[in-house]
Amino acid sequence: MANSKPAAKGSSPAEMTEFDYRKAKSNSFWHNTWKHRAYLVMALPAVIIMFLFNYVPMTGLVLAFKKYDMTRGIYGSPWNGLQNFRFLLASKSTFLNMTKNTLMYYVIFTALGTFLNVVLAIAIDQFAFKKVGKFMQTIMIIPIFVSFAAVQFIVMAYIGSSVGIVSNALAANGHKIAFYRSPQYWPLILTIVKMWNSVGYGSVLYMSVLAGVDTSLYEAAEIDGANKWQQIKYVSLPALVPMITVMLLLSVGNIMHSDTGLFYQVTRNTGNLYSTTQVIDSYVLNAIMKISDFGFTAATTFFQSVVGLLLMLFANWMVNRISPENALF
Amino acid sequence: MAKEQILVKPKKKKNGVGQYILGFFLALYTLFCAAPVVLTVISAFTDDKELKSSGFTYFPQHWSMAGMNAVLRYGKQLGTSYGVTIFVTVVGTFVGLLVMSMFAYSLSRPQFRMRYGLSIYLLIPMLFNGGQLSSYVIFTGVYHLKDSMLLLILPICVTTMNVIILRTYIQNSIPEELMDAARIDGAGEYRTFFQITLPLMKPTLAAVGFMMATTYWNDWQNAYLYIESKSKQPLQLLLIKIQKSIETLLSNKNIPSAVIAAMGGSIPQWSATMATVIIVIGPVIIAYPFFQKYFVKGLTVGSVKG
Repeated sequence: MANSKPAAKGSSPAEMTEFDYRKAKSNSFWHNTWKHRAYLVMALPAVIIMFLFNYVPMTGLVLAFKKYDMTRGIYGSPWNGLQNFRFLLASKSTFLNMTKNTLMYYVIFTALGTFLNVVLAIAIDQFAFKKVGKFMQTIMIIPIFVSFAAVQFIVMAYIGSSVGIVSNALAANGHKIAFYRSPQYWPLILTIVKMWNSVGYGSVLYMSVLAGVDTSLYEAAEIDGANKWQQIKYVSLPALVPMITVMLLLSVGNIMHSDTGLFYQVTRNTGNLYSTTQVIDSYVLNAIMKISDFGFTAATTFFQSVVGLLLMLFANWMVNRISPENALF
Repeated sequence: MAKEQILVKPKKKKNGVGQYILGFFLALYTLFCAAPVVLTVISAFTDDKELKSSGFTYFPQHWSMAGMNAVLRYGKQLGTSYGVTIFVTVVGTFVGLLVMSMFAYSLSRPQFRMRYGLSIYLLIPMLFNGGQLSSYVIFTGVYHLKDSMLLLILPICVTTMNVIILRTYIQNSIPEELMDAARIDGAGEYRTFFQITLPLMKPTLAAVGFMMATTYWNDWQNAYLYIESKSKQPLQLLLIKIQKSIETLLSNKNIPSAVIAAMGGSIPQWSATMATVIIVIGPVIIAYPFFQKYFVKGLTVGSVKG
């Protein structure tokens, strides 16, 4: 960036030399930092908060290799080798089940969610009655603002036994289903709830991209004889690809994490449903609340963090090979 | 020019059938999004006996204010919780926006060489984190912040994503010349930021701020994990407590009927529960349309690269 300035100032030789002198001095990294210490000061509060609440907790992962003793604290507890991981492998079914669920919901939510976000963004963008479209969009975004602690009651109003609208309607037709005791329905229920919750808001980002597409591109395509579908395929979709890549990449880092509210609150943490609803995050929350078995839990979160990191690095490496301009770093 | 306009005009007439089909599907989806919220409102004003005997319905036969009244009666805790939630939301959003936009500003300064290092520092938490358990153990065991409202505010105050959004906005939408001009006119770095840059960031501050406020308003997990005393209980935690008490009531069939009778009006009933839900989610839904216009403009994510 420093290179762009001498050209502008170049008219007077005296300034040139002064600039060169300053440039030479500011070449040192520490000198540059000192010169712009105001920026460092401005960055500092955020840096400190991140240090205390993001970086220090990373050190807590050593718990995976320790036998946690509350009285001696996290750093004072004795080392335990790989004992915790042995527990993990011993209780295979719990661990495998929650890992399977975490991954399954990640794939469903990400694939379906991205698809619906894009479809909805294009649909609203193509809709000719802009005022109506805007109004509809306003309503579509509302669900993201309903907390999952509140959503659980709304879900109950639909499928709660003997009071829910859907369960009553099914019962009237002779299909009595106790939803809160039937795990097989929950992948569908949670998917519907999640899509209801997030698609309207998720499409906003894609709409902001479409709003930035030069309308003359559509006009040119139309003059060349492209119909609506072709315009979408050759103008809208290519414009969305970078944003889709970025959002997918960002989501990969969260592959081992889930929306805890959805899995803990909406299912009302019902034990009967664990086989299809327990994800790693809700398991860990349960373990913390019961203050039980921190060793096993610590091993689980360690696994969660490391796998998340590896997947993120892998995804970024892939994108870097295919289209470097869309990679994160 | 004239030709172009002639070409454009007939196109507008082509709005025909396709647009109406599209409109139909959009309306259908809108209905899908609105229906649960509408049901909540209706059932909050439905007679509780009807809810119990024939279940939830969009077309109740008996309306009643009893649910709302019941909520207002056990209102003392509700008032406290409202206060806590508003405090946490306002302070958290304000502090977060200030701290993050300053960070974003310093990251967007091209002449500041440390920004590369700081960008990496910003990025790492997105790749790697300690997870819930370590956070819990550190916050309670090392920081000793159990039952402290700081834990409702600080852990979700600075997020990588929001800093990136703010930085992208500064880089793309605020001309560098403005900052240069201020500096030439003798404004210091802080003054340049607070008087030139920050006011120009209004659209993105509105969008990010509103999303942050919603996150604070809806956050239940930190409260659930850390808050013990009733005076610090936010609204979402209150909702969870209500759900717990319903559950105990439903599962504990051996509570003597005399006890239930004695508890009388204080037992949370369906319509009262739905009324609470409305009181909890209402403010956000009412506030949101005022911020919506900033959403498309203020929420663009740029590359993370420094």
